[in-house]
Amino acid sequence: MTDLPALLATLKQAGVEFIVVGGVAATVHGSARLTLDLDVVYRRTPENRRRVFEAFQSLSPYPRGAPPGLPFQWDERSIAQGLNFTLTTGLGAVDLLGEITGGGDYDALLPHTVEMEPFGVKCRCLTLSKLIEVKAAAGRPKDFEILAELETIKEERGDSDECPPKASVKPRSSLG
Amino acid sequence: MMEVMASNPIIELYKRDVDRTLIRENLKLSVTERLEQLMAMQRFAAEMQRAGREARAKARATPDAK
Repeated sequence: MTDLPALLATLKQAGVEFIVVGGVAATVHGSARLTLDLDVVYRRTPENRRRVFEAFQSLSPYPRGAPPGLPFQWDERSIAQGLNFTLTTGLGAVDLLGEITGGGDYDALLPHTVEMEPFGVKCRCLTLSKLIEVKAAAGRPKDFEILAELETIKEERGDSDECPPKASVKPRSSLG
Repeated sequence: MMEVMASNPIIELYKRDVDRTLIRENLKLSVTERLEQLMAMQRFAAEMQRAGREARAKARATPDAK
């Protein structure tokens, strides 16, 4: 199981600038589908890469699905040289993404996020509209069902993009 | 892109099979409750996988068992 409260708290406590995307973002917006990992887009500044390194260094990060014994080093240099990391960690499966298809990097996505506070951890999540857009941009047949569900959620909410009922989210413009 | 996909006949076809009752129930929950529900599903899926592995191992160990 992916320990979402602990992972979000770990990222937050390390001061990592990140945006929740993917299946967990879909769950935030009301999806009923099962997802097993936490996907986040992190900001690719040197300072933030250092924070990402520090956040996970005690969690034994390792490339997910890779055979054991690879000469994988979790350090700032590896993060600087890579972009997207699909990891298994002591708190579960995490995808650390420098950018995503159809959405770009952290700075490009930031205007399309909402603030939320699950488990008492303030963090940002992609809006439902942007989530639909990036899933559509990926153009994968396996995403058809997901897209259909996300479009249906939008219809069912029948409201603005940003404020699902009881979700306690704030549009980015309301932040200081 | 979103408008394109919204009018995509394939997506529209898939939408017929979406269970709106599940979505309506989820929309009544807070974000934290939605994520707690997801983790409960993960636990259930992991337990089913474990039980499946155990059953297969048992079947291999006793191939004549019906």
